[in-house]
Amino acid sequence: MENNLAFQAMQSYEGAVKDGDMFAIDALLAELSAAYPEFKKDMSQYDTTVMLKLRDGSKARLLTFSGGTVKGEPGVGKNADIEMIFEDENRARKILAGLIACKMDVVVSAMKNGGFCLTGPDDSAMWFSTLIRKAFSFDILYQKNFGTKMPNGEMRYVTGTNGGPLFVYVKDDKIVRVTPMDFDESDAEPWTITARGMKFTPPKRTTITPYAVGWKSLVYSPDRLLYPLKRVDFDPNGERNPQNRGISGYERISWDEALDIVSDEIMRVRLEHGPGSVFAVNSSHHNWGYVGYYHSAMKRFFNLLGVTEMLANPDSWEGFAWGAVHHYGGSGRRGATEPFSTVEDCMKNAEMIVYWSADPESTSGNYAGQEGTVRREWVKQLGIPVVHIDPYLNSTAAFMGGRWLTPKPGTDVAMALAIAHVWLKTGAYDKDYVAKRTIGLDKWQAYIFGETDGVEKTPEWQETKTGIPARTVRALAEAWGSRKTYLACGGIHSFGGACRGSYGTEWARAMVCLMAMQGLGKEGVNFGGLQMGTPLDTRFWFPGYADGGFSGDFMGTGAGFQMYNRMPMTNSINSEYQRIPRLRIPEAILDGKTSANNYSNSSVHGQFLEVKYPAPGHSLVRMLYKYGGSYFGTQPESNRFAKMYRSDKLDMVVSQSVWMEGETKFADIILPACTNFERWDIGEFASCAGYIDKSYLQNNHRVVHMEHKCIEPLGESKSDYDIFLAICNRLGMGQVFSEGGSDFDWVKRFFNYTDLAEKVSWTEFMEKGYYVVPPLPENRRDPLALKWFADGGKMNTPEQTTAPSEYYGRFAEGLQTPSGKFEFESGTLKRFDPNDPERPPICTWIPSWEGPESELYQKYKLQLISPHPKFSYHTMGDGKDSTVNDIDEHRMLINGYRYWIFRMNPEDAAARGVKHGEVVEIYNDRGSVLCGLEVTNRLPKGVVHSYESCADYQPIGVPGESPETNGCINILTPSRFITKRSHGLSVNACLVEVRKWNGEG
Amino acid sequence: MYMIIDVAKCVGCFNCMISCKDEHVGNSWLPYTQEQQKHDQKWINPVKHERGAAPFTEMNFVTGLCFHCENAACAKAQPNSVNRRKDGVVLLDAEKAKGNKALVASCPYGKISWNEELETAQKCTMCAHLLDGGWKEPRCVQACPLRALSVVSCDEAEFEEMKKSQQLEPLTDGKNAPRVYYRNLYKLNTCFISGALAVKEGGIEKAAGDAEVRLFKDGKLVTMAATDFFGEFKIDRLPKNSGKYEVECSVDGYEPVKCAVTVTDESPNLDVIVFG
Repeated sequence: MENNLAFQAMQSYEGAVKDGDMFAIDALLAELSAAYPEFKKDMSQYDTTVMLKLRDGSKARLLTFSGGTVKGEPGVGKNADIEMIFEDENRARKILAGLIACKMDVVVSAMKNGGFCLTGPDDSAMWFSTLIRKAFSFDILYQKNFGTKMPNGEMRYVTGTNGGPLFVYVKDDKIVRVTPMDFDESDAEPWTITARGMKFTPPKRTTITPYAVGWKSLVYSPDRLLYPLKRVDFDPNGERNPQNRGISGYERISWDEALDIVSDEIMRVRLEHGPGSVFAVNSSHHNWGYVGYYHSAMKRFFNLLGVTEMLANPDSWEGFAWGAVHHYGGSGRRGATEPFSTVEDCMKNAEMIVYWSADPESTSGNYAGQEGTVRREWVKQLGIPVVHIDPYLNSTAAFMGGRWLTPKPGTDVAMALAIAHVWLKTGAYDKDYVAKRTIGLDKWQAYIFGETDGVEKTPEWQETKTGIPARTVRALAEAWGSRKTYLACGGIHSFGGACRGSYGTEWARAMVCLMAMQGLGKEGVNFGGLQMGTPLDTRFWFPGYADGGFSGDFMGTGAGFQMYNRMPMTNSINSEYQRIPRLRIPEAILDGKTSANNYSNSSVHGQFLEVKYPAPGHSLVRMLYKYGGSYFGTQPESNRFAKMYRSDKLDMVVSQSVWMEGETKFADIILPACTNFERWDIGEFASCAGYIDKSYLQNNHRVVHMEHKCIEPLGESKSDYDIFLAICNRLGMGQVFSEGGSDFDWVKRFFNYTDLAEKVSWTEFMEKGYYVVPPLPENRRDPLALKWFADGGKMNTPEQTTAPSEYYGRFAEGLQTPSGKFEFESGTLKRFDPNDPERPPICTWIPSWEGPESELYQKYKLQLISPHPKFSYHTMGDGKDSTVNDIDEHRMLINGYRYWIFRMNPEDAAARGVKHGEVVEIYNDRGSVLCGLEVTNRLPKGVVHSYESCADYQPIGVPGESPETNGCINILTPSRFITKRSHGLSVNACLVEVRKWNGEG
Repeated sequence: MYMIIDVAKCVGCFNCMISCKDEHVGNSWLPYTQEQQKHDQKWINPVKHERGAAPFTEMNFVTGLCFHCENAACAKAQPNSVNRRKDGVVLLDAEKAKGNKALVASCPYGKISWNEELETAQKCTMCAHLLDGGWKEPRCVQACPLRALSVVSCDEAEFEEMKKSQQLEPLTDGKNAPRVYYRNLYKLNTCFISGALAVKEGGIEKAAGDAEVRLFKDGKLVTMAATDFFGEFKIDRLPKNSGKYEVECSVDGYEPVKCAVTVTDESPNLDVIVFG
């Protein structure tokens, strides 16, 4: 009954907007307050007066709010605390209709140009603005018309994670379970690939990773931050005791106190020190969602403040971004190639697949659950031979079978050069392609034949570097030279631990040069390991997280590519020019200066620009505002961060985090954020866009999904959106941040302005929670990646990442290189510095500075590789007392403590007197870490393995100077750049030693 | 209901174990079962097995859970504490399992575990509470990316046929008539012999591809294999500890080479054999 009255009230108000007294919104508000206690609670937040009026005062209505009730009366000539001013009647009508429908064209335009204003105290004015928009969505927000009701009374909602979307079953505001999605009959039928007389169709469901299945235990983790906290010995008006960061405990404070301290400090440091004094640092992987992601809400917030930005390094791509781009472009994909239709081509035409430093079974490519697994099972059925090159018997190799080659870390280039040597000597390469589509092979050949340095790069020569028998490499080269071969590097096709080691640039360069010799783009010859390039619909547009969300930042995010012409919103821009390279954050703070190169997505040569800190006219950083997961697990030589945090060079450290872990323990003020299970958002499975355009092509299905607010935020935690908004209100820019609405309004706006709205109604989408985009019919599938290039034609794929100005000849003809051809000898490197010994114009072998040929090897004899983890997504899923920690391959339970796992070969273990299941100390000059030892034949002698990125940081003594027990392997890795003039990490060039730990753990 | 576990399709993601925890930790499904203890119990768990050494190392996971035996040892020991349902699911009586440590000891396969917090014996329920609510599969199966775990509903005769046609085996001795069967279990309980052949041509050692390898036991031919383009071979499914074998390797144009090899519980790898 009440619900019907609410609907009637809404309908009557909609009628009033069209032709009645459009300011008489009080009737609707009163009706909702009477019908829904939650609405009444929201409405009772402020006792205040609001005037809705036309600019000239000819029409006005005064609303008086008191104790959750509202009264309306004619307002001409009267005053109110808050005024909502409309320029004229015509615009008022359009604005209100726009607000009701979340069609914001007129609203945004009026906001920008003064036709729609809100005045009054920030907090209460924002409250009123948000309240009326909530009223327009009362059916969802208060009547709870969303989700699917299950027969047993549970509600089934939907959310997204970086391990795949989930069905979330909820009862009594408590999550019961989370599962992958089994699609129903009304969902689109999947595609079929016909290859070698067989038909292959993926199952009609989604797959997820263990860190997605374990999410309930993350939501209800005992490590959740439920209240704002202040370090006990931090007094913003007195002694701040920075030396005690990471040591002292915390006390609970109110949100008001926390927000006052943070906003006062933001203003203080900017008033006293000027631009650059606030430093915004984020982890790459917070919660999933388009509104709440760091490219969206966070970006808008920090742009509005004006901050020193963190200059991100292309962390998973390194060698491709700083190396491979110089041979064939692809800067917008950080050195990768387009993926279109490669799954079908590989299945139909490839005669061999080489996985070189590639483990999609562990890394899910990126965000793609276990979607690629079924395709790799098909490869087994098709009988395509597979070769795996990786010092570690990774999960992909173990699952697929095939030959496993184990080069010593950092020596893969030598093997690649030997393969090229065999091809050049025997003529087993595509001479026609090389002649027509490439330049400079003669220069590379001269080097490979030893004409320039006196060393012939034969299979026998490589054996002395890699440890792989010459006959094995010769056999591989001969097979590869005579078979159409796909090459997979990393989880998708331009990653891989080998590109994150010393001169990983050279390895990535070698990979693309080998493929160019074999006719890259011809049928059966391409990049990929069945992880990306499924035949899904690329024409349907829905944004990925790097498309900028509601940041309004059309330069600093992907918003300038797609979003600008789809969804109206006010823009934001960071007016400060100071940036700190992520890999040099501690140096910037402690030494007051640093520099690194700037990776450019928009051009190849953009990466030659050096970024220096401090920037002219800017302040040194005084306040560090950290958002999201721990750097101790993910950044090289990470004890540096402990030293930085404990320095008095930082006046204040704020951490906005979901859990108490890692760096959060070094903050002065902690702001507790809720998870995306506790707030509204929207997203798509495995879609980041931006630097991996159309990354959903890793999936078997395109799944656009709602992120329902499944439960109320735990404790006093708030959505990131609400935290940013609360700070903005204190700085007087709540409206500028939010455009007067809540995160829910933004979700609805995104829905309305994407292709989704043409396919499914808002009501239906809110109820079901997802939409499966049907694949295109077979005769409309995308053309094969780079075939246009191999054929000498014009680009015909839906590739958008290369800027038109990056073609030096005719647009869309040829590659993003100075010549438009594949360049074995790189024109961009020749122009930049032809004599750079660390990155010469041709790909060369350069021994590792931290490998078997280095001096340090005398002291530390084990080569450590620390690839991206299998059971957590960087720090997401690990620690936090989650069930993921119970995975025997993730952590090892010894004496009641779950140690991070460190792996070594039986011979190496025996030589050091250490045994499986013991606590060992892994150490070098940079620090030491305690782990549980797994003795395994998955490694050859001399190589040890441990995944990067545990979530917590637990030093047993002084932070930064004592053994660490939680498994921060990155304490041991070098902070040196992959090649001097870059900004790329080289964590897989790392020598260590291991001994039994006899101390206290 | 039977469960079939394909060792060759398990990618070691552990979704089964985590899903089981997601369903049972923090949720009580009485009368089926109480909550699972958060970290200290696992009702289903993949166990890693390695065979061979680099570069011929294999890694597989063998997932273990209650076998839901038709002649369950737990039911024999305590008929009143164990219910065997019509669909074959074996459930412990949640009331009678309380304080009943003897139930834990009654399972010869160690699949009943003790919940320290609730002081009760517990095990896999095949998510019977969900099956009874209309679910088609238990949580572990639903979360398995390749359905390395699968359930089938069929009568005994049909399953006997399936066992034969799909070469299904029980994990243990097969006593007590388990209802959980495995495919490709040879990856766990047999060994392989690997090796490489090469020829010396013009001072260069080259892989001898497509060469013939014969395996003899006590003078009798056991099996034959061909080398791949790496000149390598792998002869699999040899019983553990099956003792001495003779390998005869033949490369066109050369005298065959014979060598002895012993299969213990480890898979032996022969050093490269160079012809010429």
